Amino acid sequence: MTPFLEAIGIDKIYPGGVHANKGIDLSVAHSTVHAVVGENGAGKSTLMKILFGVEQPNAGEIRLEGQPIVLHSPRAAIAAGIGMVFQHFSLVPSFTVAENVVLGVEPRAGLKLDRKKASETVRELAERFRLPVDVDVPVEQLPVGQQQRVEILKALYRDARLLILDEPTAVLAPQEVVELFAAVRSLTSQGRTILFIAHKLPEVLEISDTISVMRAGKMVGTVAAKEATEKSLARMMVGRDVALKINRAAPGIPHTHLCRISDLTVKNDHGLNAVSDVNLVLRTGEIVGIAGVEGNGQSELFDAIGGLRPISGGSVELGTTDITHVSVLERRAAGMANIPEDRIATGSAGGATVAENIVATELTDKRFVRHGLLDLKSIRDHAAKLIEKFSVRVQGPESAIGTLSGGNMQKVVVARELSSEPSLLLVSHPTRGVDLGATEFIWQNIAKARDAGAAVLLTSADLSEILALADRMIVLYRGRIVAAFVNTEEVTPEVLGSYMLGFAEQSAEERNAALA
Amino acid sequence: MTQGRLFLSETGRIVMAAIFALAVTLIIIFFASKTPWATFETFVTSPLSSKRTIGIWIDDSVKLALAGLAFSLVFQARQFALGVQGQVYIGGLFATLVAFSPIGTTWLALPAGILAAMIGGAFIGFIPGYAKSKLGANEIVSSLMLNYIAYDICNYILRVYLASLESGLTTSAPFPAQSIYPAFIPRTRVDLGIVIALATTVVVWFLLYRTAWGLKLRLTGHNARFAAYSGIRSSFIMVSAMTAAGAIGGLLGAVFVQGTAYGKLSIGFEAGMAFEGILITIVARNRPLAIPFVALGYGYLRQGAALMNYRADVPAEVIGIVQGIVILLVASSFTVPGKAMLARLMGNRTAASRATS
Repeated sequence: MTPFLEAIGIDKIYPGGVHANKGIDLSVAHSTVHAVVGENGAGKSTLMKILFGVEQPNAGEIRLEGQPIVLHSPRAAIAAGIGMVFQHFSLVPSFTVAENVVLGVEPRAGLKLDRKKASETVRELAERFRLPVDVDVPVEQLPVGQQQRVEILKALYRDARLLILDEPTAVLAPQEVVELFAAVRSLTSQGRTILFIAHKLPEVLEISDTISVMRAGKMVGTVAAKEATEKSLARMMVGRDVALKINRAAPGIPHTHLCRISDLTVKNDHGLNAVSDVNLVLRTGEIVGIAGVEGNGQSELFDAIGGLRPISGGSVELGTTDITHVSVLERRAAGMANIPEDRIATGSAGGATVAENIVATELTDKRFVRHGLLDLKSIRDHAAKLIEKFSVRVQGPESAIGTLSGGNMQKVVVARELSSEPSLLLVSHPTRGVDLGATEFIWQNIAKARDAGAAVLLTSADLSEILALADRMIVLYRGRIVAAFVNTEEVTPEVLGSYMLGFAEQSAEERNAALA
Repeated sequence: MTQGRLFLSETGRIVMAAIFALAVTLIIIFFASKTPWATFETFVTSPLSSKRTIGIWIDDSVKLALAGLAFSLVFQARQFALGVQGQVYIGGLFATLVAFSPIGTTWLALPAGILAAMIGGAFIGFIPGYAKSKLGANEIVSSLMLNYIAYDICNYILRVYLASLESGLTTSAPFPAQSIYPAFIPRTRVDLGIVIALATTVVVWFLLYRTAWGLKLRLTGHNARFAAYSGIRSSFIMVSAMTAAGAIGGLLGAVFVQGTAYGKLSIGFEAGMAFEGILITIVARNRPLAIPFVALGYGYLRQGAALMNYRADVPAEVIGIVQGIVILLVASSFTVPGKAMLARLMGNRTAASRATS
């Protein structure tokens, strides 16, 4: 049987000289879920962009149902029946679901948009493909999982027979993932084909029929999901065995109270309470994980403790110092370090060099600055040492940090923050968009900081990351702590998920048992 | 990309932009002039035609470089303070006051005048910075408004207290000789200003790339949120950058009035040159060490256009068009036009995709 979509010998060199795809062959069977996995920078996204007409290959051929086809633009891809849902949605927040879906190919009544027809069509579409969503609600009022459905509906409305989903689960809570997978199954049973990019292997194994693995721009192999294991896939992706296993803090070591967060209240940009009355004690040599669907106060909590957002109520004590209202500089002097959630917007200055980025937090240190003058040599040496220690792939300390890949940039941020040997370490999404090899490395280093006696406060959109690293976990829902656990085998993503989505709340006693 | 390759590609871009701008100038001259080739030749060669014109070229370049340096400091901190013009007038005024004071006839005249000018300029630079950090006032608006205020203060004091009767109230009496720069080459405008501009270039470079203050300033400019996250007091950096730039603006004012070209205070002496510093620093990508070279190149085109105005039948406004083209080409990521299209025609899909993406 002819495959639905075939890519033969796809080759892509970007103008900068990056050889992103090297002779890629891919064959996607009709009505199946085909996953493409690989580390960051393996070339998955480039391949998908080529299949959606965003990028043009330098060589190679694409065949749709056996017919050669040239996809010179996304418009051509859509016309050919290919739809793509990007990680970053392109929706108009103030438009309703139906308006967003039909935007660009609206049903008209005379010159006007036929709202009624639009709503009806979209509702039918949603029912048919098991993507339930309220079509008359503005998109901005929907949670992320539902916004994603709107994106899928958009593609289906344009009659996509092949749907490319770019890391669709990255932004979803566990329950939402279950719903997405149900929708994916109903899509394939109705003759649609799904091309699924991911790097969370358990999910890939669960949903896919076939899995193709890419590494360093090449197609390493394609296997049936039934025959693959997490371990075998990881080995194909990284090229060696990967141990994503972090030891818990060793038992028996006294964990003294280091940081006391009392009745903390923080407002968001709109002046509403994003964090309300949070009480939490962080102890030395321990990682506390904060779980929550994005937008439930985690960012504001971390910004407030990090000194980037004013605290409107309560207090934060670090050791014996009250750091509630002090400057970032004083917080850092008191022993705080901060691996921020966005390494580009917050964690680095893209145009500056790696060495300058590394020294930025140490400008009061006599090693690097004396009498207001920079000691360029020791700044460079310090950076070179960290580059070596964290095996950052970069030409040298003088390269602009903006030219580094995501994983390497994150390594620089982590290296800088850990080099000050902090007593309190804030960590937000430390491995977001970072490949497996670097993830392993970053995890080990966070654990090392913990073993050196740091109190670590961690949040991540990836629950498996929190479960792998944290000694205790709390769940934030609408800015409040609704549950707290000691990390044991019984705590699963599903257990956390029901608290994260606000379906359940622990009693105060249960919570306090794990919080104290 | 390494620093070396970056330097080469940037230099190449500037040279290409200049060649392109010259080509467009030639086309304009063809439409405007009866003797286009002769006019173009005037445009291209006249700045070198005599010792005097070379002196004017150098003197203009000195002033353009100083204006560019002042802007480069604030632009590197990503503050769009446009107050150099006002700083020049206040600086010029302060230098003039010193020149006509008892100090003006002593050996202290030049350093004291320069210092006074820099203090005056720094104050004018400080105001929009302070207003921004304390009141959230937009620095573009406040610095532009301050330009008018400074200009009119300068004119007011000139007319009421300093104007000499012979000049029809538009200029002061000539400065005492001790308050005027010595000319390095007699009967040209090549004077102490050139030393001041070069020294300032080195100082600005040193401040930006060798001091902690400069690193903080550049990091704030690259990413203000990152600076705040790292513990850099970005509002202090912002205000101090604007103040330091103001001092350079004031210095430029002193270089104007104390220079051999003037040696007195006149109404509108700056003639809009301060704003051309924006062009200089944009083309130099805010790199202080590149600024003198860009100033020389641009000063040459500017001088050529002015002389073309006198000696041929094409107005100097042509330079405005050239200016616009150069900014457009350098500020945009300019490559040789038609390269992509040519490549597409030849079937090379790499370049073609670059054009569409």
